[in-house]
Amino acid sequence: MSQPRISVYASSADGNAVPTRVIQGSRTRQARTSHYVSIDPIRDEFAVPNPFAQAILFFRGGADGNEAPLRTLQGPKTLLNQPDNVAVDPVHGEAFVAQFTTDSILVFPNTADGDVAPIRILHGPHTKLDGPIRVEVDPENDLMAVTTRDAVVFFNRTDEGDATPKWVLSGPKTGLGFSRITRDVKLYPKGKKIIAAARIRGRLPGPPGVEPFGDGHFIGVWQYGDNGDVEPWAVLRATPYTELMGRRLAFNEKTGDLFVGGDGIVQIYNLPEIFEAE
Amino acid sequence: MVGRFIPSKFRWSALAAVLLAAGFWNQTHPLSGVLLAQQPSERQPLILDRPPVRLLSDPNPVFRAVAIDTEAGEVFMANDKESSGASILVYPTQFAPTDRIMEPRRRIAGPNTDMGMVCGLALSPQHGELYSVSGETGTLNVFSLRANGDVPPVRRLDGIIPRANAGVYLDAANDELWITTEHVNRLSAYRRTFEEDDEPLRFIQGPNTQLADPHGVYVDSEANEVYVSNHGNWRETQTGEGEVRGGDSLTRSSLGYNVPGRVLPLGPSTGRFLPASITVFSRTANGDAEPVRVIQGPRTLLDQPDGITQDPVTGEIIVANTGNDSVLFFAKDANGDVPPVRVLQGPLTKLGGPVGVSIDAKNNELWVANWDNHIAAVFPRTARGDMAPLRVIRTAAENAPLASMGRIGAVAYDAKRDEILVPN
Repeated sequence: MSQPRISVYASSADGNAVPTRVIQGSRTRQARTSHYVSIDPIRDEFAVPNPFAQAILFFRGGADGNEAPLRTLQGPKTLLNQPDNVAVDPVHGEAFVAQFTTDSILVFPNTADGDVAPIRILHGPHTKLDGPIRVEVDPENDLMAVTTRDAVVFFNRTDEGDATPKWVLSGPKTGLGFSRITRDVKLYPKGKKIIAAARIRGRLPGPPGVEPFGDGHFIGVWQYGDNGDVEPWAVLRATPYTELMGRRLAFNEKTGDLFVGGDGIVQIYNLPEIFEAE
Repeated sequence: MVGRFIPSKFRWSALAAVLLAAGFWNQTHPLSGVLLAQQPSERQPLILDRPPVRLLSDPNPVFRAVAIDTEAGEVFMANDKESSGASILVYPTQFAPTDRIMEPRRRIAGPNTDMGMVCGLALSPQHGELYSVSGETGTLNVFSLRANGDVPPVRRLDGIIPRANAGVYLDAANDELWITTEHVNRLSAYRRTFEEDDEPLRFIQGPNTQLADPHGVYVDSEANEVYVSNHGNWRETQTGEGEVRGGDSLTRSSLGYNVPGRVLPLGPSTGRFLPASITVFSRTANGDAEPVRVIQGPRTLLDQPDGITQDPVTGEIIVANTGNDSVLFFAKDANGDVPPVRVLQGPLTKLGGPVGVSIDAKNNELWVANWDNHIAAVFPRTARGDMAPLRVIRTAAENAPLASMGRIGAVAYDAKRDEILVPN
């Protein structure tokens, strides 16, 4: 169990660094299980879910200390049910929530405050949304990626209702899916890349020493349009050399740094190959 | 741009030998952009294996919960900081005051312990048992009170118990173990002598309970009452929700992503923010029971209350009040919006994110486990106001950064400020 807080560090921080600011306290309305942060660079805000109180919190970008959120999305009309992530589309002014309890994606205006109904809902048997835990949006290419129990599924950004995915990444060659405990997925619009993190329990079949995914965590990179049981375009494996220990992802495309959050640690890998333009 | 290896140009036997050698080389050389063909395939992944250029973490243990074996003169501390290796640390209760980092007398840690994010402790000197729960798993582990090192639990409750527990308490008089489960607003009682897949004897859960993100638990066996501290994050739970029953689980709750369970229909959200509280139940209550008393309101000063215990002399209810770095003491029969009868708070106290409290009745002392500043502080049992502790145990130097990251839930990059945001 951790303390309910968001620690903020300089991106160049190393070792046991002092945070530049810490957002904590009961006025912040955080629970101790904030499993996602989404940055809105246009409004200079960030959004955080609170699954226990079924709320989405929108903070000032430079929030500090025991600072209350600017807006709180919460109430019966929201249909929120243990929201575990939120992804803001700053270009189109929307906020997406993947809801694994109800197999749905809820979309709200990112200015929503209080008891506001979703403007779109993606939900139904054709969507292949089985336990969706993360959603990510690419506003430049009008794409939405969703991590589910068995796959990463892709939709058009504005899809709603019982829409069929345009691509599905799933199968043993992908290393993604149920037994692999896929976690975060990130989209890199300029290079049209898909970055996903998962953890494999036990080794996959293959010649000793040359498994594509290693034993434990791995990060795979795919290209837009990859569909089906497709090996990653690139992979960072967990080995004694890489010491990869996490599945929470963020990146700085300018420096080529990939930030990987693990259990009490953040590892920074410099992988400029991923962030080359298409 | 890195070129691609073209396996069709090589004999496979030669390729295999090259791959094995290259695989070994690739593990030991930090050259970026090296390509290895992995197996016959339509696509040969670009292997990006290289070490991190930086690593952000706090290697120092923190104190999450505290339990005292007064007869043996030992204090047990839960350390849920995974970057330091989650552990149970055992120290003597009596020692000469020091500002130096103190090494534990014993340390229970390692893969065999199945410790998880250990966040609650209880113990029984009578039975020689130590009980731990984890904020990550749905298990209760029992260790020998003399356990040391990487030892497996001697017993383990791993049946239907919901995932993500917070506090545990042993009601020795009634031989019952009580557990709070944060994710599903639940309080469960089990036989101390449980077997692996025991059902609870009773549990309290449902919309009438006012349980809202419960943390600490304490049983007053004389008054037959159970005290629970609540942070106030509330949603309506169904009685029985979160029990792990495979595909028949009532819901997919507990945030166990891969735990099967029934999918809920889209429906009205029920979430609310309630004021922090201490809910008091009859010890024999069961199901969707209402509390007999609720301590709640602005005069209580409750702010993210966590560990809870009782003063054996005065009967006062003692609460680690994480949100404003204090320890609050309430009258035994406190009810409603009432102020604490005592408050321990201030810069001299060295309280920083207090989460655990326990009384050493033999030595008439109050122990406070602090998560943020790596300190366990010892006070006179009757401490109040802004008073310095009698002595402290610290796991980091006084000028070390505060513990901030715990089990982090995400990482985000803010390009405007060139910062990374890391929520717990």
